[in-house]
Amino acid sequence: MKRITILSISAILLCACNPDTWNFDVTGMFSGSSAGINERIEDSFRYNDEHGFSVINATSEKYNVFVATDTHVDRSRTNWEQFINAYRADINCPLAIHLGDLVNAQNHWDYMKRPLDSIASNPLKRDTLLTVTGNHDLYFNQWSEYVRLWKTSTYYTIVRTPLGKQDLYIFIDTGEGILGEKQTKWLKETLAWADGQAFRHLVVCTHTHLFKRDSSQGHTSNMPLEETYALLHLLKEHNVEMFWCGHDHAREITNLGQMKSIIVDALFDREPHPAYMVAACGDEPISYRFVELTPLVE
Amino acid sequence: MNKRLLLVFLMVAGMLPAMAQVQYGTSQYGVRMNIGYNHNTTYGSFATFDFGAFMPINQHFEMQADLRFSTARNHSLGVQVRPKFPVPVGEFFIEGRLLAGLYPRDGFNDLTQALAVGYRMEYVSFQVGMSTRLIMESPYDWHANSNIIVEPFNICYKLEVFVRPQTSPWNISLCASNMTDYQIERVWEPIFMANGMYNIDQNWQINLSALCKPTGMFHLNAKYYAAEVRAGFAYNF
Repeated sequence: MKRITILSISAILLCACNPDTWNFDVTGMFSGSSAGINERIEDSFRYNDEHGFSVINATSEKYNVFVATDTHVDRSRTNWEQFINAYRADINCPLAIHLGDLVNAQNHWDYMKRPLDSIASNPLKRDTLLTVTGNHDLYFNQWSEYVRLWKTSTYYTIVRTPLGKQDLYIFIDTGEGILGEKQTKWLKETLAWADGQAFRHLVVCTHTHLFKRDSSQGHTSNMPLEETYALLHLLKEHNVEMFWCGHDHAREITNLGQMKSIIVDALFDREPHPAYMVAACGDEPISYRFVELTPLVE
Repeated sequence: MNKRLLLVFLMVAGMLPAMAQVQYGTSQYGVRMNIGYNHNTTYGSFATFDFGAFMPINQHFEMQADLRFSTARNHSLGVQVRPKFPVPVGEFFIEGRLLAGLYPRDGFNDLTQALAVGYRMEYVSFQVGMSTRLIMESPYDWHANSNIIVEPFNICYKLEVFVRPQTSPWNISLCASNMTDYQIERVWEPIFMANGMYNIDQNWQINLSALCKPTGMFHLNAKYYAAEVRAGFAYNF
């Protein structure tokens, strides 16, 4: 009994620690110290109200969106730099997306941000990197750091082509596995508004995945069942074409009716199969390919 | 929000007699009914109406059936079978579950099968197993080729601790599990329950229970997600 007790306590401590700084946040498992979803939504909405939503102009009717997730920058950022180099070099990429877990834990935000400031973009084009928050961007009370650099985690952006066609990308915050009442209401209203706008493509981007179909749910937690079905219903009801997410570190593509849910591989340097996705958005349904990076670990 | 979570935890921890779903050592057939007040951040407030039957066929086999109607239009129907293997202290058991979740509000149904092994004695019951879930669109489109989602492997677990021997006329238990009689959650969504019961006489039993379901525990940013308080009675034949 004594051994079981010691093992159980050790397991909980290991679950709740940041191995880089040896900070512990056991209480986070029972009552998280980071801002909750409704507080974060307030921060995001405040920024949205002041600055509005962005419109990005593509230079062709068919353009590329580079999508990465789970970079977990801590002691190294090799794959992250490769990703930034790749999307900035692509003349036809007006938009790159990161689906959360930019950093592994606290104290790495500025180290993560530096390549974005130093890697030059192709002088012939402009590009934008958009993000949502992941659980690693939140715990140990990191929301303030996220907001300092990225301002908002619940918003949408429109990509407009030279012929005036428009694609809508909606970003929602699922950093702790739920949407919360305010964000759900906002998502419903935004999708209802989108119904009347004749967008060519409608994509929802977030961190936490809906399903877990591969052989384990070993290391990632997702949403409660009620939330999963309610969100899925909403996405299908409004004919969302794709749902892009991360969190699981393993690629998984699920077709459900007309909608496709894609869990993008992790870009973490210590990941055995790091990869990112390049989606081609034209007049046809969105197509995509994955770019495998050379693993940095055995 | 943290205060709200703390309040729910305190409520759960302080809860008095609730329902004992399966009493170790019980040999009486029984039926039960419960009414519950529920809240979660997805649906808001809603009510549930539960009906169940417990059938201890013999010393080595028992069955249980559960039915839940909900005003939030998420219903469930479940059957549990439980071969038992008494040992000098306590008993080992194998539990098979088949649970249909009906979510007409969202246009989905799911079917979850679980197989667990367990051990229970007077003060403690423990079980661990695996479950598989099929998620289907409703109404099912037989002409589509991509409307069933399979989550093949999920760990399920349950640890329940009783303050008195399970054969006592009243009891209180605290339980952590990702399974209830009406839902089998993903492994990282534990549900904390407080259950209790009081036998008025040989036939009638009253029960009261509460549960709290946080979310984000393993995101290390746990917040309140759902709570439930139920009251009801059982009649044992």
